[in-house]
Amino acid sequence: MKLSKLLRTGIAALAITTGATAAHASTMRLSETGSSLLYPLFNLWVPAYTAKNPDVSITTASTGSGTGIAQSIKNLVQIGASDAYLSDAMVKFHPAMLSIPLAISSQAINYNLPGISHLNLSGPILAGIYMGKITKWNDPAIAAANPGVALPDHVIIPIHRVDGSGDTFIFSQYLAFSDKAWGNTLHYGTSISWPAVAGGIGANGNPGMVTALQNNPYGVAYIGISFAKQVAAAHLGQAALLNKAGNYVLPTPETISDASSSVANTTPPDERISIVFTPGTNAYPIVNYEYAIVNSKMTNKKEAAAVRDFLTWAVNDGNAMSFMTQVHFLPLPDSVKALTLKQIDSIK
Amino acid sequence: MKLRPFRLSVLILSLFIPAALAAVVLFLVAYSGQAIIFNGLHFITGITWNLGDLYDNPVMVRGIQVPAGAEYGILAFVVGTLASSAIAILIAVPLSAGTAIFLSEAVPELERASRSVLPWLPPIRPVLAMLVELVAVVPSVVFGLWGIAVLVPFIGHYISPTGNGYGLLAASIVLALMITPIIASTLYDALCQVPKENRESAFALGATHFEVVTKAMIPMVRTTLMGGVVLALGRALGETMAVLMVSGGGINMLPTSLFSPISTIASFIVSQLDSAESDPTNMSVRALSEIALVLFLITLAVNAGAKLLSSGAFNVRKRQ
Repeated sequence: MKLSKLLRTGIAALAITTGATAAHASTMRLSETGSSLLYPLFNLWVPAYTAKNPDVSITTASTGSGTGIAQSIKNLVQIGASDAYLSDAMVKFHPAMLSIPLAISSQAINYNLPGISHLNLSGPILAGIYMGKITKWNDPAIAAANPGVALPDHVIIPIHRVDGSGDTFIFSQYLAFSDKAWGNTLHYGTSISWPAVAGGIGANGNPGMVTALQNNPYGVAYIGISFAKQVAAAHLGQAALLNKAGNYVLPTPETISDASSSVANTTPPDERISIVFTPGTNAYPIVNYEYAIVNSKMTNKKEAAAVRDFLTWAVNDGNAMSFMTQVHFLPLPDSVKALTLKQIDSIK
Repeated sequence: MKLRPFRLSVLILSLFIPAALAAVVLFLVAYSGQAIIFNGLHFITGITWNLGDLYDNPVMVRGIQVPAGAEYGILAFVVGTLASSAIAILIAVPLSAGTAIFLSEAVPELERASRSVLPWLPPIRPVLAMLVELVAVVPSVVFGLWGIAVLVPFIGHYISPTGNGYGLLAASIVLALMITPIIASTLYDALCQVPKENRESAFALGATHFEVVTKAMIPMVRTTLMGGVVLALGRALGETMAVLMVSGGGINMLPTSLFSPISTIASFIVSQLDSAESDPTNMSVRALSEIALVLFLITLAVNAGAKLLSSGAFNVRKRQ
């Protein structure tokens, strides 16, 4: 008697759970994977969006921009996150793939020089350092950019990312666009064939870059702006960079939006454009769009509608400063937002 | 022989692992085929690794589509892998031999001595042995974090002439700590298995405690020690995360000192995979899978070599 009662309760419980699962299955599930820089922003967006749209669930993953691109092309995820836009060759091979900007990010050049609170650096100087042509802090090229600063007679330790990274992409773009020797030999990309520099080291991820720079006085490193807090807590310096107009500028919301507005009117309809080393008097030189890589020809029309709705929300409500300031990003300029919305609408 | 259901099922199960292994090797060979043709022998002898300009249009080289400027040479990573593992073994073997001998020989005496004073004391040997085994299951990323937070600054401040702690030495020490418990616990188990009579007769012949351990016990467990070292080498050669965090990610250069940045094969594959995936020609991923094939062959060669050594093929005294 008791056993059969237990059994009945069990079956009832099972039926309820199955019912619940069935109800759950009717919700739309989307997956996002890719850029570790965009990941914190997605983790702010998703709870806010799903609170208003309880029938949608979105999983996020921080795997790297290359993985985001590859998995969205293979239709394993609906949204691939990438710090870099798709290359021309990629677009030729996969014409249905879109590069959709969602926000604006930037990168700081940080240094660990005891006692020096302001430092000017330029693309050619950084290219020289990372190629091993400029080896000491008191090199004439650095001294010329920093009149009146007592630069130490010490070997420079250039620190680069060992893992594939959107930060390496925009950093190497800055060097390639401003220094011919770099542009002709090393080009730009998420991984660089780093020249062998005595004393140079590689670090894993942005957290690894902060630690490596902290561990190595006389080091210099490129670190995503979303790590500004950790960099400041570690008492590391932030360099002012030479822009195309010939001014040394620090990464501030003003100089970054100067850079983004300088390309706002030249951004093409497919929005694959670099914001590195743009004109603009006070434009900070290392700025980029953060992209969603999406297939415009989805097999599941309901999924396509859900992706459209989420991305539209992301560039409207999601671009609110309350989200952006938390990760040190900036919202898209209006003219770029119009192009982005047009691209989002083409997802079918 | 009649194939009974039991025999048949066991046979199938036993074939599963070799079949999986064969499938992996076949996949690696087939997938990296184009890369093997493109790279030739230069793959092993070259030091320059360059994924090429993934944002430029691909070019045709000898009938194969590759990114412009692509060049795949892995000698530096092979050297980095072998050097860091070899140094790790050099550090770990004496350390783990000491640990195992301490556990099997010194601790019982300590126990006897302390129990004669405090008879209610619990046995401490199993607890210590368990602690050693526990270290063996600590995830490698924990060792990596410790390496970054403690070891790298220490080497940078006190040992390295350049002030940089990342590199071959840091990677080797982290690896050594990871593999010491593997060797130590295998050796400890083996030492416990040495027949009592061997120890006691050595003592009866007037051997000192040191002589008993080195002459009567260690020779009996040599094969097991070798087995432990092989296991440890397997882990050291394939370790990825911890090495990636402290090795300094050396590329395009051979290590010249203990403080040179290095990359090991496994850590390099992980660090390059993401960029390789955005290569429209897919050659980068194929080249990475060729590296994986090389790592597989190295592991195979090392294990076969160690088996040969421990089987006594080179041990003349044992054959007599």
